[in-house]
Amino acid sequence: MPICSVLSRRAATAAVLLALLSPRAASAHAILEDSEPAQGGTVRAGTVALRFRYNSRIDVGRSRLTVTRPDRTQTTLAIASGVSPDIVVAILDLTPGAYTVRWQVLAIDGHITRGDVRFTVTEP
Amino acid sequence: MELLIDLFGYLSIVVHGLTILAQSMALGGVLFLVLLARPLAERLGLPGAEIAGRCARIAAWSAIALMVSEAVTVALQTAVLVSSVDIGVGNALGANFAVAGLLKAGIAALLAVMLFVRGSSAPTVPLLLAVMLELMAATLTTHAAARLDGRGPLLAAAWLHQAGAAIWIGGIPCFLMAMAHLKDGVSWRAVGARFSRMSMAGVACILLSGITMSVLYIGDIPGFYGTAYGVMVGAKIAMFLMLLGLGGMNFLLVERLRADPSRPVTRLRRFAEVELGIGAAIFFAAASLTSVPPAVDLTRDRVTMAEIIERNTPSWPRFASPDHDQLALPALQAKLDAEAAQQKAAAQVAFIPGAGDLPPRNANDIAWSEYNHHWAGLFVALVGVLALMNRAGVRWARHWPLVFLGLATFLFIRSDPETWPLGDIGFFESFRDVEVAQHRAYVVLIVVFAWFEWRVRAGGWTNRGAPYVFPLLCAGGGVLLLTHSHAIANIKDQLLIELTHTPLALAGIVAGWARWLELRLDVKANATAMRIAGWVWPAAILFCGLLLLTYREA
Repeated sequence: MPICSVLSRRAATAAVLLALLSPRAASAHAILEDSEPAQGGTVRAGTVALRFRYNSRIDVGRSRLTVTRPDRTQTTLAIASGVSPDIVVAILDLTPGAYTVRWQVLAIDGHITRGDVRFTVTEP
Repeated sequence: MELLIDLFGYLSIVVHGLTILAQSMALGGVLFLVLLARPLAERLGLPGAEIAGRCARIAAWSAIALMVSEAVTVALQTAVLVSSVDIGVGNALGANFAVAGLLKAGIAALLAVMLFVRGSSAPTVPLLLAVMLELMAATLTTHAAARLDGRGPLLAAAWLHQAGAAIWIGGIPCFLMAMAHLKDGVSWRAVGARFSRMSMAGVACILLSGITMSVLYIGDIPGFYGTAYGVMVGAKIAMFLMLLGLGGMNFLLVERLRADPSRPVTRLRRFAEVELGIGAAIFFAAASLTSVPPAVDLTRDRVTMAEIIERNTPSWPRFASPDHDQLALPALQAKLDAEAAQQKAAAQVAFIPGAGDLPPRNANDIAWSEYNHHWAGLFVALVGVLALMNRAGVRWARHWPLVFLGLATFLFIRSDPETWPLGDIGFFESFRDVEVAQHRAYVVLIVVFAWFEWRVRAGGWTNRGAPYVFPLLCAGGGVLLLTHSHAIANIKDQLLIELTHTPLALAGIVAGWARWLELRLDVKANATAMRIAGWVWPAAILFCGLLLLTYREA
């Protein structure tokens, strides 16, 4: 489904501007090296620390994590600071179902990139 | 507006390329003024003061261009952060990139003021300090600033790399201006010899920093040929070697002026013009490079040597096309239409151009694309052969530009089957897709330069600027191809296509600038160089045709 069809007008404008700055989204240079939970992985329900590690120094204060829950509601997550320059962490209470975390990070050199990590939460 | 994502993304590379060009010309102009124009002004006599003044103006206007492009970049990035992360403008402007960008714009403004107000007598120490600080601010928005390991050496290398480009390529506009204002061999030798020494220092900076960055960003040989980063660095190295060749020949000519000051310097100036053109192409390649991750970070999805050999092993060209209805997109649309008709609902659109999604592809799409490339190869090879025949004295072959009109018509109809006239997507709507927009731009380029070149060759057109349209658009097309993106989800396939398009782009740049030399060199003083250039450009076009004929996507 086209990204923009599910975004608000403001978010769509941001998407256009974002594309202006990260020309090849598929190969933009801040790469997600690994994540917990992993892409397509599973995790038990409860309080979970989401952890995303990149190949670059990240400006955590100007990055964003948004979770889409099984009921399609979206929440912006508070990102913990001071962990490591390449790691973004957020704590989240999870109930069983399919989740998507959309990450958008600002690398220290000014490049903004984004992507999705999808995972499934199982019964504890 | 939200449907223009891909197109805007591509334009950002162009803005970045212009920023690098403006930066190099501003800083190169200042260094030329401080290290060459002013120290030699007295020795050069009356033109010396004029050269220094003009040099200050070139640097000042370039600084204005740098300030504007940098301000635009910061404004856009800030707008993105404010709208996508829900932070205030003040907070966004506190980000590392914004501080560095504003610093760059501020220093560029300061340089412009100093150079406009004081002209050629602008104070040396503040000028050089501004150059140093501008380069430092520029390094803070390179890959080096965000690295986790080896950050110090990489920041130093990035500083040195940009300094080298400014000294050498950025100084060429002032060098050309100075050579045009001087009238005697002694003065030409004085300016040429000092600029050669400056250029050698620039080359040393680029070499040292380039090797350091290659080791730390590419890491190993597979990273060099197996990633987009490595391939683009390879293209930059190839163009750097072309520059070295031209610069080396100019150096030898300057040395010969010592023994014979009456020796003409037309070749020196023409080679310098080409150096500037190829230098600008390198800047656009560098701009494209900043959007991809360093090879060392991309350990998965690399292309292997076996895959490259397998893909590039020549096979017989494909001259039969699959039916349009068998392509993935028309097939998917037909399925959606059938489903909608069954449910008596409005049919869903299979693909929205420019919305950020990639169109579906199947084996027939690959066959369609290969067929297009192979027929295009036939057209281009025919142009090369006819141009070579014309060079050898076959008069009727001078009509070779008309073959390009056939190519343009073919590309317009076939290059994007999902769009008008073959597909459902309207002509204007199709421009939202960056790849379609690029293809349409190529069609316009081809028609324009074919028309101009045919009028020049066959019609005896006497317009002085007309002969330069073909070489400039040919070289420009090469640069466009260097930054050309293929919308394919599979990163490996994307890279394998890039590997075949990069030599095409380089050959286009060679063809354009060789033709430029053929036109600009002096028929009496540079007969040999002119003859060589006259054979090189049709050979480069023939090479492009042969490459296209062996092109494969699977």
